[in-house]
Amino acid sequence: MSLFIRKLSQNNVKHVVAKHYESQTLIFSSRKLSIVPSVYDGEKDPAPKFFSKNVQVLLKRLTRPDFAKVFRKRKNTDLPVLRTPIYKFLTNEQLESEIAKANKKADKLLQMPPIVKIQKPITDVLSKDPALVGYDTSKFVFTDITFGVANENRIVVERDPDGTLQSCDHEIRKRLNQVYFPIHGRKIKEPLMFTDTEKFNSLLERQEYEFILDRACIQYEPDEFTYQKVTSITYQHVDINTNYNLLRSTRHFGPMTFYLTWHHNIDNLMLELLQSGTVREAVLLVALRHELQADVTNGDVAQTIVQQILPTPVQLTKPDRLTEEDIQLDNKCVECIEKYIVSNSAMKSQHELALQGFREYYQHLIDLSRGLQKAHGKVSN
Amino acid sequence: MASKLLAFRSMICKPLPMIVKQTSFQHVPYNLKFFSVSPVACVNFFNKLPADKLWKSVTSVSNAGAKKGRGKGAGRIRIRDLNRGQMIGVGKINMLWPGLSAPVIRGRELLKQQRLPDDPERMEKLIKLRDSMTKFRRLKLSPIERGWSGSRMPGRSIGPPDPVGEDEFTGFDTKVLQLRSLLIMKGSLGRTRNYQAMVVTGNGQGLAGFGFGKAKEAPAALRKAKNRAGQKLMHFEIYNGHTIFHDFYTGFGRTKIFVQMKNEGYGLKCHRAIREICQAIGIKDLRAKVEGSTNLQHIVKAFFIGLLQQRSHQQLAEEKKLHLVEYRAENEHYPKVVASPSEVRTKEQISQNETLDFIQYVMNDKVILRKKKFPRFYETMPHYDIYLKKYERYRNHEKIRLNLKVEYGEIKSFLTDKYPEEQTQSDA
Repeated sequence: MSLFIRKLSQNNVKHVVAKHYESQTLIFSSRKLSIVPSVYDGEKDPAPKFFSKNVQVLLKRLTRPDFAKVFRKRKNTDLPVLRTPIYKFLTNEQLESEIAKANKKADKLLQMPPIVKIQKPITDVLSKDPALVGYDTSKFVFTDITFGVANENRIVVERDPDGTLQSCDHEIRKRLNQVYFPIHGRKIKEPLMFTDTEKFNSLLERQEYEFILDRACIQYEPDEFTYQKVTSITYQHVDINTNYNLLRSTRHFGPMTFYLTWHHNIDNLMLELLQSGTVREAVLLVALRHELQADVTNGDVAQTIVQQILPTPVQLTKPDRLTEEDIQLDNKCVECIEKYIVSNSAMKSQHELALQGFREYYQHLIDLSRGLQKAHGKVSN
Repeated sequence: MASKLLAFRSMICKPLPMIVKQTSFQHVPYNLKFFSVSPVACVNFFNKLPADKLWKSVTSVSNAGAKKGRGKGAGRIRIRDLNRGQMIGVGKINMLWPGLSAPVIRGRELLKQQRLPDDPERMEKLIKLRDSMTKFRRLKLSPIERGWSGSRMPGRSIGPPDPVGEDEFTGFDTKVLQLRSLLIMKGSLGRTRNYQAMVVTGNGQGLAGFGFGKAKEAPAALRKAKNRAGQKLMHFEIYNGHTIFHDFYTGFGRTKIFVQMKNEGYGLKCHRAIREICQAIGIKDLRAKVEGSTNLQHIVKAFFIGLLQQRSHQQLAEEKKLHLVEYRAENEHYPKVVASPSEVRTKEQISQNETLDFIQYVMNDKVILRKKKFPRFYETMPHYDIYLKKYERYRNHEKIRLNLKVEYGEIKSFLTDKYPEEQTQSDA
């Protein structure tokens, strides 16, 4: 094991350590709204729920992945200029295997940043050596830089001038990890867009949510307070302005839905789903709420319907033709949502109105598709 | 004017003793009251013939000489207007003539004839003015109107073709590709000069055509070619509104052109005539390499033939009976099916020696010669090695400076705060 000794001046370390966990009550205020960030710091740990298979499936389906958007042209690619496209002649089998590869790639692109409980400060005194008191005025930090050790398992300890040998706190650990094993895109000093409130708010107002969330993913660990604060404010800003479509087909939609459901705040999202006529996703959302909070009266019904919804293809656009199975499924969904609105909704009248609007539109669609069936001579009972 | 001056001088010279006498006798100031008015015969070469005949004798070129091209270009003698810059009443001797070169009454004073001090620069000015008429002036064009080279016609825009009846060519623009003079022999006239023009016209949205015109004069040839091009429009599909459908090879005579489709923003990297054609059609990105003969008419014809022989993606898929799939680097190489045939062949139905590579297939198995890249002349020299070694340690300084400016707003190091007095010295 090779040890690297790093001598930090005392003032510097103090400065680094000091400001942890003090800004929990910080309020981000912009001209129009002031958002209070809420982080995962309660008794309940969100990680087991988030990583459970049921929830992952629901969150992925709610993301409504549209491949045109998943594989879109990104601003922050390594390509300085565009490249000439490549063309290939493919047989059916080759095309299928290529599409399967693309699906795998899409899964990778849509992998959701984990949601975990906030980290606890490390207070682990290894030894106290009174003989070393006053040996030096500075603190010594020892880092194990053995190849192949994960960053979170790396041994980083510090010897204080008073002779105490203890494990370093997260702030120092992160800094030293970044010094010895740099992560591409992560800065040792926090970027201004996260520290300067004005700059952060201007980003929010310009609706650059994806940029904020992507950069936060690189800069912070998921269990850091700052990460959860930044993402929480961004999610709430999206929720207040109903800009869900900006995050759909990205890896951040799942965590946002999880966040809103976890903090009992899905009414806006539900309203948007009903207004855009995607009742199936509304049922998925009800099921998700039941999974996380277990406070929905007809949650079991929703969960059974979810099993029927999952095999059907993702509805990217409004359908123009309906089959009888579709009609049956959608009717079930509408019934489920009706019950949900009566028993659990906090915005009853608005939800009712949106659902009524959907029903009328849907009836029109049913008449149209049945009429077409009849005109084509395929009469069904 | 010259003859007048001569006459005037003779008049002055002759009665001069008389004037002198008179003045001494009558004490009148210098005037011309007592001049003799008897005619003086002044016949010489200058006043026998009018100015234009005199000039013609100097500038004219014989018929045979004109045919050979004499009396043209830089050494040509030009007719000068010698009256330019001269006024009646103002001459070599600077006299004040009330009522001619000056008012009769100025204020309350009655002006009198008098001799003013001579202007020594007058003749110089006149000569300068006359010289400015003789110099050959080239036609100046604004950079926007300019063609490929100076004020010559090729590359210049000559507007849309003339309307036919009520059909107008709106949105069209014509570019001259070639304008040259041809010599033809005629039974009665002998060798005569003809102008031939080749132009391309198009609306930038897929419609374009080219035409030739011949006439005795260049403008007429251009007009004929333009209107002919307007009658021979062809429609070309443009892929995604910016490029061609696929790479292709095309040729005409000994001219060979290899054309490649390119990504958006690549631009037109090709022969200037091909660039003008692409702009007329509306193609924005393409690369073309001309090999063999660079006969301009052949290049134009070959390129148009090549464009017309393009196959759409659907046609290619049908020919091959395979899916045509597009991969773009900016879309993480997502396989986008651009065309599917009505029936797809299986792997067993594809013969072993069949061309499956897309580019090879559309180029009809022609391969573009890629020349070997030689190192730059300095790269093999010893001083280049020294340069590389010397500057190796500075190679990241640019980035670090930028980063420091982002983080601290200035270029500083860990020593800057420790020794502030040094910093002020260096700044000063």
